[in-house]
Amino acid sequence: MRKYGIKICALILLSSLLILAGGLVARATAGESIRIQDATGRFVEVRLPVKKLVVLTSDALEVIRALKAEDLVVGINTGIAKEPLFWPGLKDKPAVGSWRGPNYELIVELNPDIVIGYARHPGQDMEKKLVPLGITVIRLDFYKMRSMVKEIEILGRILGKEQEARQLICWYQEKLNLVERESMPLRNRPDVYVESYSKYHTAGPGSGGHEMCVLAGGHNIASNFSIPYPEITPEWVLAKNPQVIIKATAFGNCYAMIDPDPLKSVRDKIMACPAWDNIRAVRDGKVYVLSSDIWTGPRAIIGISYMAKWFHPEVFNFLDPEKLHREYLEKFQGIKYQGVYVYP
Amino acid sequence: MNNISQQYKNLTGRKLSFIILLVTVLFGVALIALSQGASSLGVKDSFAALFQQTGLAHAIVWKLRLPRIVMAIIVGCGLGLAGTVFQAILRNPLASPYTLGIASGAGFGAVMVIVFGGGIYSEYLIAGNAFFFALLSSFLILGIARLKGFTTETMILAGIAIMFLFSSLSSFFQYMGTMEQVHEIVFWFFGSLSKVGWKEISIAAVMILLPCPVLLKWSWDFNLLSAGDESAKALGVNVEKVRMLGIVLASLITAGAICFTGVIGFIGLVSPHITRMIIGGDHRFLLPASALVGAVLVLTADTLGRTLWAPQVIPIGIVTSFIGVPFFLYLLMKKRREYW
Repeated sequence: MRKYGIKICALILLSSLLILAGGLVARATAGESIRIQDATGRFVEVRLPVKKLVVLTSDALEVIRALKAEDLVVGINTGIAKEPLFWPGLKDKPAVGSWRGPNYELIVELNPDIVIGYARHPGQDMEKKLVPLGITVIRLDFYKMRSMVKEIEILGRILGKEQEARQLICWYQEKLNLVERESMPLRNRPDVYVESYSKYHTAGPGSGGHEMCVLAGGHNIASNFSIPYPEITPEWVLAKNPQVIIKATAFGNCYAMIDPDPLKSVRDKIMACPAWDNIRAVRDGKVYVLSSDIWTGPRAIIGISYMAKWFHPEVFNFLDPEKLHREYLEKFQGIKYQGVYVYP
Repeated sequence: MNNISQQYKNLTGRKLSFIILLVTVLFGVALIALSQGASSLGVKDSFAALFQQTGLAHAIVWKLRLPRIVMAIIVGCGLGLAGTVFQAILRNPLASPYTLGIASGAGFGAVMVIVFGGGIYSEYLIAGNAFFFALLSSFLILGIARLKGFTTETMILAGIAIMFLFSSLSSFFQYMGTMEQVHEIVFWFFGSLSKVGWKEISIAAVMILLPCPVLLKWSWDFNLLSAGDESAKALGVNVEKVRMLGIVLASLITAGAICFTGVIGFIGLVSPHITRMIIGGDHRFLLPASALVGAVLVLTADTLGRTLWAPQVIPIGIVTSFIGVPFFLYLLMKKRREYW
């Protein structure tokens, strides 16, 4: 028994020494490090300064460009090269695979300090593969309205771009407040049917589309649903008889689009849904198509401004969403304004 | 002698009355389905609307509810028929549009158009491409089987391999796709009857009904095939032709059944079994009865799917398995003897 006691004591002593030494070594080599809470809610230790970034999501990439940290990016997802006009400075960076399933070998080869992905994609395997090799994995969404400001702030701290982050947040908050201040007290909210990318699938609570609709001063007819993207029947929409229909669509590359015909055909299809000519929105022509570029994500505020104007033209006649979009692209993204994003 | 022919008549009578029962049940379920919906239209008004020419009630019943019901019936019939034909010509209880990879092929064809059509695609293109890939998979199976000699086991095995191939290809699209395309494909794999209008129905109906007369004409050949290839040949059945053409026709039916509605699994496999357990293996009755069983199953599943959790819809592909599997297992347990 005594023998064991001594052994255990020695073990504890030894291990505490080791831990102490390890801590000293870590402190000696790591320089400054910060602890942040990412979109999954877990705390991640990030060693500063961050010099090399692999960015798997285009949402995060947009924010990084807005923070003037484009030059830190060493790897991107494969989709970026498909929109060369929108990403002039980034399109030729090495691609490491898709946003949901990147190639870890390529990432390791680029030897970044951190990799940024969505909260849910890619899966936990990313941590398993990369963390042991000293690559920090950070998950930030940049598509949820509620966490947008917090995530921009976190990114600013990680990249040492606090001031740029503050600027972006200020701009974003200001524009959002502009809409929210007017829309929140509104009592006569129009009934809105929000259709997500897939036909007859709406956006219920928990989806970005629902959040945007409410912020813009609309009443989502699916607001008492229990799942975010449920299938619904066309008859239900008819029975609810919404005053406005918002259709989110995703052609990709709207930045390069000149001709609004593809968006128009989406609208025509909605208007031609069987029996929907009895719906108020269709009868009054209040069916609006909105491209994924300004639908959730960093530019959701632009989508919200469009929606606010559609819902309450007299209240929001001071808003100019196109000007807002131009300002954002020129000031924060460093590219000129072009493209087609809404119809009509 | 008299006794035997009397017995035969009785048996035939039983089979006929089962078919009549099915038609009645189908009609009843259709009436219930017609009276159920998200709008405030009552049961009485729903039926009255059937005979109106204009108005909201007319629009709801004629443009929204009826297409759904008719499509459910057509798709169910198609899957039931295709399953029966595959099981007959391959003489294998595991054969079905899905286990043979033909539905996966058709699905891949449809998904391909949905993904690469850029949102602007025509119904004909979906149907055509679905049929093309359904045929491609059936020819692959036939080709492999021919190389190895026509054993039905190799065909099923080849079919399962092809099912995996096309499923992977569809998953590959999903993996490569943008977030939006992923949505589209995911929902496609759940199946849905919401998106069909009369145009899609007419295309699907042609693809499913066109082969029916030929298949019914071949009922006797199918019956003889169940005795084995040699016996069937000895009795004058052109086995190769029936098998080749049978697969092509069943592929056409499969493509018609799933190209607009997405994956509605299980029906093609169980409808023939359920029917065979009840009325036996005479294809003159088995073919129509199995089609009707499929129709009843799909229509019931869809009606439950859109009413149980209204206004949210439980995708049809999920509900068919929910109600089909327990029913099938129940029948399987009840039948003690080996029925196949």
